[in-house]
Amino acid sequence: MNMLTVGELRKSFGVIAAVNGVSFAVEKGESFGLLGPNGAGKSTIINMITGLFPPTSGAVHMKDIDVIKNTKQAQKLIGVVPQEIALYQSMSARENLKFWGRMYDLSGSTLEKSVDEVLEIIGLTERAKDKVETFSGGMKRRVNIGAAILHRPELLIMDEPTVGIDPQSRNHILETVKRLNSEGMTIIYTSHYMEEVEYLCERIGIIDHGELIALGTLHELRETIGDHSKIVLSLDNKTSNHEIIPQTLTGHFLEKDIQLNDNQLIIFHKDPQFILSDLIQSVTSTGTKVTSVDIIEPNLESVFLHLTGRSLRD
Amino acid sequence: MTFWWLAIKDLQIVVRDKKAFLTLIMMPLLLIAILGAAFGDVMKQDDDVTIEKFTLGIANLDKGQLSTVLTDEVFTKALSKQIKVKYYDENGLREKIKDHTLSVGIIIPANFTASMMSGSESKVKLLTVPDPGIKATIVQTVIEQFSNSISIEVFATQLAQPVNAGNQTSVFQPKPSSDEITQPLIKETTINAKTKPVESFQYYAAAMGVMFLLMTVVQGVTTMILEKEQAVYNRLLLTKLTFTQYLTGKMIGLIIISLAQAFLIILGTKLLFGVDWGPSLSGIALMTVGFVFNACGLGILAGSFIKTEKAFSVAGMFATQIMAAVGGSMVPLYLFPDWVISITKFLPNGLALQTYLDLMSGATFSEILPAIAGSVGLGLMFFAIGLIRLSLERRGRYA
Ligand SMILES: Nc1ncnc2c1ncn2[C@@H]1O[C@H](COP(=O)(O)OP(=O)(O)O)[C@@H](O)[C@H]1O
Ligand SMILES: [Mg+2]
Repeated sequence: MNMLTVGELRKSFGVIAAVNGVSFAVEKGESFGLLGPNGAGKSTIINMITGLFPPTSGAVHMKDIDVIKNTKQAQKLIGVVPQEIALYQSMSARENLKFWGRMYDLSGSTLEKSVDEVLEIIGLTERAKDKVETFSGGMKRRVNIGAAILHRPELLIMDEPTVGIDPQSRNHILETVKRLNSEGMTIIYTSHYMEEVEYLCERIGIIDHGELIALGTLHELRETIGDHSKIVLSLDNKTSNHEIIPQTLTGHFLEKDIQLNDNQLIIFHKDPQFILSDLIQSVTSTGTKVTSVDIIEPNLESVFLHLTGRSLRD
Repeated sequence: MTFWWLAIKDLQIVVRDKKAFLTLIMMPLLLIAILGAAFGDVMKQDDDVTIEKFTLGIANLDKGQLSTVLTDEVFTKALSKQIKVKYYDENGLREKIKDHTLSVGIIIPANFTASMMSGSESKVKLLTVPDPGIKATIVQTVIEQFSNSISIEVFATQLAQPVNAGNQTSVFQPKPSSDEITQPLIKETTINAKTKPVESFQYYAAAMGVMFLLMTVVQGVTTMILEKEQAVYNRLLLTKLTFTQYLTGKMIGLIIISLAQAFLIILGTKLLFGVDWGPSLSGIALMTVGFVFNACGLGILAGSFIKTEKAFSVAGMFATQIMAAVGGSMVPLYLFPDWVISITKFLPNGLALQTYLDLMSGATFSEILPAIAGSVGLGLMFFAIGLIRLSLERRGRYA
């Protein structure tokens, strides 16, 4: 059974269609990523999935529970890490966790045990007694996550949980999510950082302007752009006969895979390591020196660029 | 019982916020002290200042010494600026009141002096038109001051609608007849014999207390609206907590804070300034709960119309000031015309202040029960309208 099924989800705010017919399913135990630039509609999708507000149209099922009809019942299965820090600043980390645990009906020794475990998981056992307002952005984010996993939800839904934090905290969070997933928790993770989604998620949906423009495993998504790496050769600009280079290469590469911009030569190829020395040799044989080589493997950034003509972060 | 934890959390946060805590507890005491000292004199002279001179009808059946002192020395001489005294016989007085040529009159019983001398109870009858206003209060207060062992029977002459023109002569009847069962003509109220007038400092303690409670409620509702705009509110709605539980928890938190504040104001003014809050502590506590409930209801109703926390806190500040002013917290209620006082009963703080004053004057628990019921009733009504609006808005916004 799917953990979550979303069908033809739509949401309009006045004339703005924030989400425009999105369908996908998440299997039990899977880690699923929603990647998209700011304003793509990720949070709106999450808010409808979690039952915070109903969609304009469409269906959401958590296992076989209709989220729109039986919201409270469905919410028992999930933990939600909201995009913003949703904590009481003047209370300590432990007090916050205890409070949120109580909101999920935990009490007594179950609550204490759960709070201790979660503090351990988010790495804040030492700072448990300190007020949240004294914490760094990263530490707050970690408590924000902690408050969502106290009741051991089957499905953890995280909306951009690493926005604006230091690399160390980010790594800690990514490791934590990975660990929770490996322990069997189903994960839905939204981000506009493609590295995070690439690292964490088995399957990825790419969202743009409220629509799901691509859906698949990382491998499948790369395939959509031919899975070509990008080789960038910077050429010495003392030599000026760069124009002849593409001709000398046409025997080895397809014409559409060769681009020359001033003193940059760009080649698309599936196996760059394989042809790199030959390529450099061919170029130098024309009398042009190669000053640097960059190999850019196909990533979600290039997939997004390919699909929308825009970069993920602009 | 999740809502309890919500209430406890709110209390924790308030107690830790030193500024909020000081505002809640210290400011009221300080201001009561300052204003009580400053306005105390105004209160003492307020009859000079404002109340128009009126005529008091007296039917003195006693002719003894004490009644003469009361009528000649007190009413005629000492209060000459406020009161013009006219003497009637008993029936003449009743007639005058009945046809509204006179609005307040007293009948001093035949045994007045004798009873007073022997220390037993004597009842002065206070006759008034149905809506005598402040005049009756003044007369009553004077008599009470004259002797606080006198119990006064107030006969508020209720002018019932005549069934037909021919029936008009029977509108006022000194003795109840069988007619009145279907058509009550006289309402009789007996006021506690130990009724005491409210002193200026007492008045200000109550008035300021009510104002600060009002501010606490506005503050509480503002925080609620603020919280609604914050991520924690959404997160709360994602837990097991329902919207109703959320509201219940918030209300309980606010009621506990307000009760603590009321308790401290009462205790503080009692210990520091010797203010007498009357004998019924339970009356004060329950009235406070009723008041907070009522004011919260009004706040939530207002909140359902006002979208943002900023707008609400500005509007709330103005509304608090206006309500406090009209409700008697800034200017003594005695200075207002009667119809204003009646209308302010529909303001949570107006009703609360008047009830606190009643309690200070020795009203018993059962006497203020209608006020408590009224507060809760009004609060419920405000709540209901506010909630309906909120849920409609919620549906509308997200539909
Ligand atoms: N409550 C709202 N009212 C009006 N427009 C909204 C509201 N919430 C989101 N939007 C709009 O919907 C679009 C998607 O927003 P959002 O889901 O927050 O994007 P993301 O989370 O991917 O950054 C944006 O254009 C945003 O301005
Ligand atoms: Mg978002």
